[in-house]
Formats: sequence, structure tokens, C-alpha cells
Amino acid sequence: MAEHDDLASAVDDYLTRTYDGDRRRKLLDAGGWDTRLSAELADLGWYSLAVPEERGGIGASPADLGRVFMEYGRHLVVGPQLENSLLPALVEGLTPDPAGIPAALVDPGVTHDWVDDLGTLALTGRELDGTVDAVRFAVQAGVLVVLVGGTVCLVDPDAPGVRIEALDSADPGTAFGRVCFDGTVVRRVLADGGLVDRIRAWARLLLACELSGVARGALDRTVEYVAQREQFGRPIGTFQAVKHLAADMSARSTSLNNLCLAALADADGVSDADLDLISATAKAHAADAAVQVCEDAIQLHGGMGFTTEADVSWYYRRALALRGWYGDATELQHRIGTALLTTGSPR
Amino acid sequence: MTVESLEEFRARARSWLADVGPLEVPADPDARFDVLRRWQRTLFDAGWVGLAWSREAGGSGLTHAHQLVFVEELVRARAPQPVGLIGLEVVGPSIDRYGTDEQRRELLPRLLSGDDIWCQGFSEPDAGSDLASLRTRAVADGADLLVTGQKIWTSWAHKAQWCALLVRTDPSVRKQAGISYLLVDMASPGITARPIRQMTGDQEFCEVFLDEVRVPRRNLLGAENEGWAIATHTLGSERGAATLRRRVELEVALEDAVDALRSRGTLGHRARAAVGRAHVAMRVLDAQTRRTTERLLADAGPTPVDSVDKLVLNEVEQTVFAEIAALLGPLRAVPGSRPAGLGSGRWAHEHLYSRAASIYGGSSQIQRTIVAERLLGLPRG
Ligand SMILES: Cc1cc2nc3c(=O)[nH]c(=O)nc-3n(C[C@H](O)[C@H](O)[C@H](O)COP(=O)(O)OP(=O)(O)OC[C@H]3O[C@@H](n4cnc5c(N)ncnc54)[C@H](O)[C@@H]3O)c2cc1C
Repeated sequence: MAEHDDLASAVDDYLTRTYDGDRRRKLLDAGGWDTRLSAELADLGWYSLAVPEERGGIGASPADLGRVFMEYGRHLVVGPQLENSLLPALVEGLTPDPAGIPAALVDPGVTHDWVDDLGTLALTGRELDGTVDAVRFAVQAGVLVVLVGGTVCLVDPDAPGVRIEALDSADPGTAFGRVCFDGTVVRRVLADGGLVDRIRAWARLLLACELSGVARGALDRTVEYVAQREQFGRPIGTFQAVKHLAADMSARSTSLNNLCLAALADADGVSDADLDLISATAKAHAADAAVQVCEDAIQLHGGMGFTTEADVSWYYRRALALRGWYGDATELQHRIGTALLTTGSPR
Repeated sequence: MTVESLEEFRARARSWLADVGPLEVPADPDARFDVLRRWQRTLFDAGWVGLAWSREAGGSGLTHAHQLVFVEELVRARAPQPVGLIGLEVVGPSIDRYGTDEQRRELLPRLLSGDDIWCQGFSEPDAGSDLASLRTRAVADGADLLVTGQKIWTSWAHKAQWCALLVRTDPSVRKQAGISYLLVDMASPGITARPIRQMTGDQEFCEVFLDEVRVPRRNLLGAENEGWAIATHTLGSERGAATLRRRVELEVALEDAVDALRSRGTLGHRARAAVGRAHVAMRVLDAQTRRTTERLLADAGPTPVDSVDKLVLNEVEQTVFAEIAALLGPLRAVPGSRPAGLGSGRWAHEHLYSRAASIYGGSSQIQRTIVAERLLGLPRG
């Protein structure tokens, strides 16, 4: 427990010192891609945390990344953190790039309910065909990690038959690209049967942690703001209607934080089915709770909350963008209910 | 003597509960109460009641952790709670902490065994959330106090032998400063308890009228006019113990509902989504109470975080039962029916009862104000 807290507070310290408002705003204006920041975090070793020692990493569990993602959320550290931290940790044959050039996760299964809108892939032998219409940091990636059916393969972005187009993005923290394959020969097919599910489950859990940090950040900004902004001759934080909204935000943010911590504690070393359930539960709650906290945050900032001047509007757009990535509440609740009601009871 | 390990203790509790087998609980409220009171006696005789209480008080001298394990096993065995919960969870801990040796010796063993059922006479018709404004008066009369006034919502007052009663002994000072905490024998002349029917159909709580009820001064808990701090302690114990017990009860209730739905086989979209939502809510509560448990075991005392716990518990309890009850559809109104495999009577009852969670023990609005002012540090109005 203590060492996890140490890690989180080291990350917090560093970000508090070096990732100030100006820098954050620049990154958000640039759509989340900053080669200097990626190189810096790579240099600090944050991308090697959960990478096994034999692949040059520090050998911690992916669960240890959870605390780091909470801090990313709270400080609005955007960019390809998920790709850089998680993929080298789980995927054999990948190592953290020393300059922080990410791998891209080409996955038509980032959502269940919109799967028809994202495109499809097919693997025949070692040949890959098809399109995925929204891939995070595809243009920037040094390698593509492609999930096709139950298989994971590695593809070079400049291999013959690969086409990557940049897309507009409404997520201030993510650059998107469309990835098309036409008879592309993959560099490597990984044999591990459960890997596809494991990548998705960990992605889901880390996004839940990031959302927990986003909620916390929006809450903190709001508590500061309502204590200082005056109307009717007194701080608006003295009005009970404001207090109660702030208290709900606090209860929501605290419960989300606790849920993520419990999920991280439980996720280590469990079966793939349990990991799926744990991560789906955390993300289902995070998707709704973080968005709700941010909406209340904007409400309590008044007109200021509606502007790009206010941090809370950035937190909100970030929460909305992450909400559906690897499942929103509706989709995941259904998935959880199905797991509990139809398979062997995974309690 | 070394303390029994939690694993050994759990195994012993589990096998004892398996040996006594399921308890037949009648539907008739009076017969039910009698059976549950005998059940408390059975539990007490076997050493399962007052696990964390001192031996002098009639308890077993174990830890809160043992108590939690036993609650878990009891609920998992689908066995009922002992009937004297107000004594065990709410009033008893305050008597143990603030009582004289004589009070503890005389009252606590009977409280634990269920020979004495206790009720909590705090709320009044005009003093609910603003409890400190209570008006039931106690005036000196020789060695005694004479108590006159009215209480309301007093759970189990019609069955109780004793009442923890808050009274005003000094109307001339700040409202919190003039309150005393009395331990009152319900057989005293001048007390009338009249049951009120709840929307669940049960008659658990009462109006209590007090007309010049004579209470000896030695039945003061703590000093005269110093009752408010003890009342706060009582309300704190109520929240802590109830939160942890309620978590287990909810977990088991949801398991029962899932089992019922599975056994029925036909699973619509609604059932999956409802179970998903209830499961997520349940995990939220579980994660929250891990922190509560840490604080309880460390004897950390009350904090404003307890109010966050209470808000989370209320919301989860209401979500879980609302989700299950929504699966009853129109058959909710037919208690004998089993829509989707769910016993309509039970789940409609649980759902109605869950609405009280955000009212008793300090309403959700009161908790929100506490969170905003004491946890978030927002300025007072
Ligand atoms: C099932 C059940 C069992 C109970 N058992 C007992 C018992 O055994 N012993 C006992 O003493 N009491 C008991 N109670 C009473 C309970 O403690 C009170 O109902 C509770 O304190 C609320 O008081 P009230 O009912 O007078 O509501 P009120 O205080 O009148 O509140 C009405 C509404 O106004 C809101 N409100 C009040 N003040 C404020 C404020 N300052 N700011 C914002 N909103 C406010 C409340 O949140 C609530 O929504 C029980 C209640 C229930 C439902």
C-alpha cells in the first residue's frame, strides 16, 4: 500500500512542479501530442513501470499504473499515455520507446454498441485487410498493435498496404487517425489466446482511473472557485444549494476513487473473466460519475464554466471523450449483467 | 489468553450456524418478534452477541473484526439478526462508554441477551433534523426527575423494556447545552407507546407520550446537561455499525435476486441491465466500506467522511432495490406472484423500506451540509 502511495505522490510532485497551467493549455490546444512531453515521461521511466524486467522494464504490475493514471487525470496530462504505458507492458515484442513514440492500438472493439460504425478487420494467414475508423495516435505511432478477432498482431506503419489518415478530433487530449489495411503482411502474430481481452480489460481499468482523476480535478477547482466567487454580498459557497451540489460531487468523486483503488487491489493475478468483470464495473461507474461531476462543476462556475478559460470545461470535454472508450455505462452494465446472469457465477 | 484468529473464528461461526439450521420466522408480527427475541437468546448463550464488548459488560472481549466476521456469516447463512439491534448497535455502545459501573453491570448483560429490548427516544414531532431543539422536559423532584413530553418515530417502543431518552433539563442555555440523556424504564407509570403503521405495512415505530414520568437521577447517563455529546456518540455508533451490516445484507440480497433470475432462465434486456447497474452500485459500496472498516478497526472515531459513507450507502441501497423492484413490473402489486422468478412481496417491501435510508440517522440533506462545511471547508451560511 505504502509504496503505491509513494509512486502516486512522486508523480503528483513532478507534475505539480513541471506541468503547469501554460504547459497544459499548450498541450490541450495542440490536440494532446507533444514529442517533448512524451520523451520526458519516457526518460523518467514512467512508461517502463509495468514492463517486465526481461523486456527492459521495471517489472511492476499493470495495476500499479492505476495510481499514475489517476494523477494524469487530475493534472490533465493527455496524449498517448495509455498506449505508451500499457502496450509494452502486455504485448510481447514491444519495448518502451526511449523517445516516447507510442504504439497505436488498432482495435475495432473499443466499444460494443458502436462496433458497426468503427469498421472491421480480417486476418487471412498473415495478411490483414480492413479499416478502423478511429484510432488514437495512429499518425504518430511507431508500430501498430492490431486486435483482429481473438488475435493480436504487430504491423509496421510503413509496411506495404497500410494507409493512415489524420482525422479531426474533438477530444482535446487525443489525435485520431483512420487506419486501412489492404493485403498488409503483419510483422508478427502473437500466440497468447487471452491477450485481446486482457488488453481491453486493462485499458478499461486505466481509463476508469484517469476518469477518477478527472473528477477529482474538477471537484478541487470547483471547491476553490465557490469559496471565493461572491454574489449577493457573500461567497456562493455559503448557499446551501451550492453546498449540496458540491457535496454530491465530493461523494461521487470519493466513491469513484475508492472503487478504482479496490479494483486495482483486486485485479492483480485474477482470472481473465474476473479481470473483465472488475474492469467493466470500474469503467461503468467512472463513465457516469466523472461526467456528472464535471457537469456539476461547470454549473457551479456559471458563465465562466462554459468558457475555455476555465479548467473545468477541459475536464468535461476530456471526460466526455473517454466516457465511451472501451465502453460507456449503458454498454458495460449490460455486459456485467450478462456475465452475472448467464455464465458460471464469477463472484 | 491469545485472541482466536479470524479464520478459526469464521470457521467456528459457520459450522455453528450450519448446525442450528434455518430458523422458521412466522409472518405474524408479534409471533415474529417473540421468535427473534428467542433467537437473540440462543445467539447470546452460544457467545455470539456482544463479541467486541468487554467481559464485564457481558460480552466476549474480542475485536470489531470478529464482530464483522460474525455479521457476515450470519447474513450469509440467511439467518435473521438478533431483534435488539437498537440496543446492540445504537444505545449499548454509549452505555458501555459513558455509564457508571453499576449501570453497565445492571443493564448491559440483559441488553445483550435480549431480556431487555431498548428503544431510542430522540426524535420529536418538532425536533427531527434539528434534534437539539427537542422540548421534552425533565424537572427535578427530590431525588428524581419528572419527564413530560412527546417522542415520535421511536422504533420498537411498544416492545421495549428500556428507552434512551433525550430530555431538556435546562431551557435557559444554548439548545445543545441543556440536554440530558436518561435511561428510562418503559414500565414506569405515565408512558404510553402507540404504534404507527409504516408504508411497508409494518408497525415498527411509535409515538411515545410521557406524562410526569418519574425517573431516578441515578438513571442519568453521564452528567446532567451533558447529554448532547453522548447523543452524538450514539448517532455515530448507529451509522458505523449499520453501514457495515447493511453492506453485507445488500450483497446477499443482490445474490438472492441474481440466483432467482438465473433459475428462471428467461433473461430479457431489462434484467441484464438492471443486474449490471445493481452490481456496479454494490461494488461502489464495497469499495467505500473497505475504508470504513479500516477506520473502525483503528478506532479512528467519528469524521466527516462518515457522512460521505452515509450518502454512498443511501444511494447504493436505494439503487439496488429500485433496480430489482423495477423487474417486478405490474406484478409488484401482487405480493404472491413471482415475475421473472423474483418473489414480488419481498422485493417490493425491501424497495419501500430503502426509501427510509436517506431519512433516518440524519437525512441526506443534513449529510450534504456536513460534507460541504466540514470536509470541503465551504464557509458556513
Ligand atoms: C424507519 C425510521 C425509523 C426511525 N427510528 C427512529 C428511532 O428509533 N428513534 C428516533 O429518535 N428517531 C427515529 N427516526 C426518526 C429520524 O431520525 C427522523 O425522521 C430524522 O431525523 C428526520 O427528521 P424529521 O422526520 O422530523 O424530518 P425533518 O427534519 O422535518 O426533515 C424534512 C425534510 O427537510 C429536510 N431538512 C431539514 N432540515 C434541513 C436543513 N437544515 N437543510 C436542508 N434540508 C433540511 C430534510 O432533509 C428532509 O428532507 C426514524 C425514522 C425512520 C424513517
